[in-house]
Amino acid sequence: MSFATDRRSAGEWVQFVAGGAIVAAMFYPTIWMVLSAFKSNREIFRHPFGLPEEWRWGNFAEAWDKGGMGGLYLNSIMVTVVAVSLTVALATAAAFAFSRLEFPGRRWLYRLLLIGLLLPPPVVAIPLFAILRDLNMLNSLWALILPGAAWSLSLTIFIMHGYFTSIRPDMEEAAVLEGANVWQVFRDISVPMVWPSMLTLAIVNTINIWNELMFALLFIVDEDKRTLPVGLIRFFGRYSTDYAMVFAALTITTVPILLLYFLLQRHVIAGLSATSLD
Amino acid sequence: MAQGDSRVAPISTGARNILFVAPAMVLFGVFVLLPLATSLYYAFTKWSGYAEPEWVGFSNFTRAFADPVHLAAYMHVSLYIIGTLFLEVSFGLVMAVVLNSDRFGFSIMRGMFFSPMVLSMTAAGVLWAFVLDYRLGLLNSVLRSFGLDDWAQPWLSQSETALIAIMFVSGWRFAGFYMIIFFAALRRIPRNIYEAATLDGAGPVKQFFTITLPLLRHQMLTCVLLAITGGFAGFDLFFTMTNGGPFNATEVPATWIIRQGFDNNELGYATALTVILAVVVLIVSLIYLRVVERSDVVRY
Repeated sequence: MSFATDRRSAGEWVQFVAGGAIVAAMFYPTIWMVLSAFKSNREIFRHPFGLPEEWRWGNFAEAWDKGGMGGLYLNSIMVTVVAVSLTVALATAAAFAFSRLEFPGRRWLYRLLLIGLLLPPPVVAIPLFAILRDLNMLNSLWALILPGAAWSLSLTIFIMHGYFTSIRPDMEEAAVLEGANVWQVFRDISVPMVWPSMLTLAIVNTINIWNELMFALLFIVDEDKRTLPVGLIRFFGRYSTDYAMVFAALTITTVPILLLYFLLQRHVIAGLSATSLD
Repeated sequence: MAQGDSRVAPISTGARNILFVAPAMVLFGVFVLLPLATSLYYAFTKWSGYAEPEWVGFSNFTRAFADPVHLAAYMHVSLYIIGTLFLEVSFGLVMAVVLNSDRFGFSIMRGMFFSPMVLSMTAAGVLWAFVLDYRLGLLNSVLRSFGLDDWAQPWLSQSETALIAIMFVSGWRFAGFYMIIFFAALRRIPRNIYEAATLDGAGPVKQFFTITLPLLRHQMLTCVLLAITGGFAGFDLFFTMTNGGPFNATEVPATWIIRQGFDNNELGYATALTVILAVVVLIVSLIYLRVVERSDVVRY
């Protein structure tokens, strides 16, 4: 990475200080959360700011056990991995077909899919509950995986379609001339071509599905099938006066995600800005 | 959305190609379209979830339009959307301009500013419930340490401040998202435009209004649409922080639907409320799209 190296002008210093102050204020609650997680309840009350007198790592072990965090993490990981793989795979195939192939009903089906861009998931919460019950999926992770994947399709197909139309199909046409069938073109030419975009969209969908709350709240009853967001709400409900415990639980559930984000920052940001560009 | 018209020749034609979209369409059909379609039936029934639904005609809808909390929920969500246009979209735009620099430190600041976006709304809600807590919340502690004890408020448990508090938390969570969208667009504005404007004597504020804003029009319109559709869907933060309270002061359509459906077992009535929500969202977004489409800007 390269930075401009000439001396900063006065205006640039103002920009730097103003930006830094706002960003610091916005980021401070996160730091406060982590620091408070190390404190005792008494200390949180008496010294809300500053470093803990004693770094109580035991808080995390206690919150981890009390909240059953291992199980919550495992469920969240399973739901997210399966749902994201499903949605990205199906969306790539569909976007390929919508942009590269012709078939009866192409425009009509594409428009139908775009409905999902405008409608929010709450509008189907209740009938979806009945459908999942009839399919015997209620209270299983499938009740989060399949609706989660289905509700991610519209945006994923829409963005993927944009990627496909921005690339000329020269390679694919050449492969067809050489006798490849459509499936081979898709598998050997198109997928490798849009592979980076697939990863980007996987990141976007991971954030959405990992954080999904409403379906997880409504469709899962058993404690051992809960995902992290619901587990955190229940934990908050049960230990709402045990501040140190809640901060420890919050830290356990958010800091790994934040670290992952700072590691993959460029990809995450590229992915999310792609959701509205071109 | 008209990109289908200028497409290049397809590499293959024929009905078999539909197999590529079939899996996606099946999944979409079963979990998106089917519930949408069946809700048109359930909305006209009285249904507890256990016994068979019983047809009741339009009575759920007449009830919905006479339900004061339901109507208030739309007022709250409208205020919330207006709030997010300032605290998320406008703030995000300003920060995109402020953080647009190649100097050392700005990339890190952008990353930090964006970071709340990767937290779940639940985590953000629980964290902010503590920041806003009356007795030992961070905000009141800051106020008290400045000697402003009178300003300390039970932010989330009084009707006057609860909705505003949620708007600010929503702004905290989402401003980074809009900042990134505007930032990506800012990077594509050629720098020599600004250099020419500087030579002509235009200051940074004037440049913002005469160059930056017009060139970001496309992104502005997209972001406003995202804020509107996202706002109507607002649930997580409301559920986590206040669950509609105090005294329904932060009730929004989604929380009211869930309360009617799953706490009161009025599934038929709740479904009617979802139909109303879907119609409202579609009408508002279609009007919006229609108004802006004339200037060929919306592709989202």
